[in-house]
This record gives sequence, C-alpha cells and structure tokens, in this order.
Amino acid sequence: MAFRDLYRQHAGRVYALCLRLTGDVRDAEERTQDVFVRLWDKLGSFRGDSAFSSWLHRLAVNVVFNEQRTTSRRERRVTPAADPAVLERTPRGTVEGLGIDLERAIAELPDGAREVFVLFDIEGYGHGEIAELTGIAEGTSKAQLFRARRLLREKLEQ
Amino acid sequence: MNEHELHDAVSKLPKSIEPPRDLWPDIEARIGRRSWGGMRRWYWVPLAAAAVLALFLIGRRERNTWDITTLAGRPLVGDLRLAASGRLHVGDWVQTDDSSRALIAVGKIGELQVQPDTRLQLVVATPSEHRLALARGMIAAKVTAVPRLFFVDTPAGTAIDLGCEYTLETDSLGKGLLHVTGGEVEFQTGSRTSRVPLGALVQTRPGAGPGTPYVDDAPAPFVQALVGFDFEHRHARTVRNILALARPQDALSLWHLLQRVDSGLRGTVYDRLAALVPPPPGVTRRGALALESRSLEGYWTKIQRIHFRLMILRGLRDIDPRTGLAR
Repeated sequence: MAFRDLYRQHAGRVYALCLRLTGDVRDAEERTQDVFVRLWDKLGSFRGDSAFSSWLHRLAVNVVFNEQRTTSRRERRVTPAADPAVLERTPRGTVEGLGIDLERAIAELPDGAREVFVLFDIEGYGHGEIAELTGIAEGTSKAQLFRARRLLREKLEQ
Repeated sequence: MNEHELHDAVSKLPKSIEPPRDLWPDIEARIGRRSWGGMRRWYWVPLAAAAVLALFLIGRRERNTWDITTLAGRPLVGDLRLAASGRLHVGDWVQTDDSSRALIAVGKIGELQVQPDTRLQLVVATPSEHRLALARGMIAAKVTAVPRLFFVDTPAGTAIDLGCEYTLETDSLGKGLLHVTGGEVEFQTGSRTSRVPLGALVQTRPGAGPGTPYVDDAPAPFVQALVGFDFEHRHARTVRNILALARPQDALSLWHLLQRVDSGLRGTVYDRLAALVPPPPGVTRRGALALESRSLEGYWTKIQRIHFRLMILRGLRDIDPRTGLAR
C-alpha cells in the first residue's frame, strides 16, 4: 500500500479531528499535514497491537496538542498571564469548512472546553485519557465538559 | 435543547470531513525535503516495508468472515439455506428470493440489508478493503468508517463509500440506481466518476457507467432530459433543455454536466450554473472551462455545502438554494 493511499484513506478522519480540535480551517489543514509527515516518520514504530486507525488517531491528537503547547509557550512570552484571553481564546478564523449550526457552535467554544468536548463526546476518549493527552487534571476535564455542554445548549437555543 | 438532544445531535456528526483542498502535494513536498540527504533517503525503506508487512499480517489475522442474519424467509448462502444466522466467507454468494431478506455485518464498519430477489458475492473482507459484487437486486448499506473502505461492484461500475448510507439496485440487464440518504458516495466506471451526496440519486448503465446525479425532488422532465443526455443522445438541444429546466437546487447536476458536454457547450453550461449558484471566490470561468481542478473543486465545495444545508434543513427552515443561507 503506497503512503499516498494511506493519506487518501485517512485524510478525512484526521482532518475532521484537527478541524474540531482547532476550530480553524487553516490550522486544521496545517495540523493534518503535520500528522501525515509525522506518520511518515513513525510508520516503522507501528507494532500492530491496536487498529491502525486508532493508532493514527492518537498520533493526530498528540500532534495537535504538541503544536498547541508550543504555540502557547510562544504566546505566553508576549501575553500577560492574567490576560483572560489566554483562557478564553476564541477561534482565530471563520470556519468555512463547517456548515451546520452544531459544528459552528462547537468551533466557537473556548479552546479548553472545545478540546475536552471533542475528545470526550465526539471521539469517545475517557477523562483519564484526556488528562494524559492534554496535561490537565481529570477533574478539570470533567468541569470543561460540563461547561462545554452548557455553552452549546445555550448557543443552540439562541 | 436538553442533554439528551445534544448527545443525539453530536452522535450524528460525520466522523470524516474531507479537507477543502488536496493537502497531499504539500505533504509530499515536506516528506521529500525531510528525506533528502544522507542515509535518511534510504532508512524509510525497511521501516515502510516493516509497516506494510505489519499491515499485511494484521490484515491476514483479521481477514475474516462476516456475520449474516436472516431477516425474512430462508436466504441461500452458497448452496445452503440460512436458518437464523451464519458466516459469510470470501467467494460466497448470497441469494434471496421474493420473500427472503438478510442482514450482513460489513466487517466492523457497518451493515447491509439484502432485499428480496437479490444476488451478491463477498469479494474481499479485510480491514482495509470491504468489497461485494452485486449481480442483481437491491441492497441498503449503512457504513460508519473513513472513506474508501467499502466498495460494491455492479455491472455498471463501483459504488465507493465516503462514509454514508445508501440503497443500490441493479436489474438483470445491469441497469442500476444509487440513492444516497446519508454522507456521500462516489460511483466510478473507468475514468468516469459521479459524486452523489445525501438526498441525490444517479442512474447507471453497463458500458456507460454513472449518469448525471440529481436531487431526489428534481422535476420529472429534468430527470428525463438528463437520462436522455447520459444514455441516449448527446444533442446540443438536449443540453439546452436541461439548462432551461434546471433550478438552483440542481446545481450539482450542472456541475457534473459541465465536465461531460462537448467543449463548445461548456461555456453555456457554466453561465447557467453561475446564474443559478454564483461561483465562490477563486473560481474563474476560464479555469472551469479548462476543467482545472482548483476551479472545479472550489465550485463543488460550495455546491455541496449549499446542498447539505438544503437537505438537512428541508422542512425546518426556508433555505435560499442560491446561497444555502436561511431566508
């Protein structure tokens, strides 16, 4: 199977995950590219003890969060820690790729709430796994999920 | 909206979304740059080979039979009458008569109902390829997986799942009809491909492949004109008749037509399409007439998005078919 075929098979799934985690079309395109470049490097370490799609999925989540940590570190150098925008950053661009109201509402969630919501409610990760992937406490993950669901219900009722 | 309704809505979100543009060229270029120089050019070979071998071994281990369950009557699996349930092996034929139906589990990615008077064969059953051949009859498939894992061969071509729900039928002469009720399906014969999103249909013929897709509420004269163009005669007056009958909701048909008419008529089709659904920024008339991928894909993305909103919100909101926005 050519690497290009792997891309064709899995690009939609990876892009969907990146789009929902970042809430930004341009970021999602970049992260999707990053994931497949990383996959190229890591393909030899796939041992086959999980489904390939699950393995790739986790790789994609790691790529997105690694990039966010790097960006966050960069931003912290120029943004005062007390700035609430650090915690409540809204999406950076319009979400051209998302057509329906629910997708748009998810994209407009604050970063932390959106990430937990996407991983827990859409992708099926547990709070323990989310804590491990994102570096937050399990309790924080639960609180973010509760907050995300409340915000979504409010947005969709508007 | 309560918690249950939210959960219900979230569970219906697509697992897969195609990127708005092809990212492969950029990825290929980045991989090429990384691989340049030193031993790095070569060390991917054993790694890739190991990965391919691993995938192959997993495929062999997981290449299994599929579950089949009787829904009505006594379907035939090979030469044996199926009682309640059984296993379907690669190469097995399933046959239903006018009073029997069966349910097949498509590996771990979906299910398929075999309707009465149907004959189909399991061709490939691996985690990376799920393939059936429909000789005649009708199936209703529901698949939740990444695109291009589930294929159904018919006498007129192959239905390629892009994460979807659909019915597919073919008669004893090989004439067929694909009706997509969720997601999107590609129907391919040789180099000819039709993209069929939810709420759309396409007729198929052996030798000719897929016709031009149309929405399920398209007026009968419009559909008849399309069928005439696709399978009978390609007169310019047939094309002009199609264009005269087309509504903004029929943009997906005109998008396909644009690529199938003689080059002399392409401008006429484009102008009608642009009048019904204005092209998005970045799509040029010249690019579309030259069938440049960038223009065609950009236009398709807009048409598809509008079509999706029209279908999803049908009966709930008044959607402008030219823009996809609520009026």
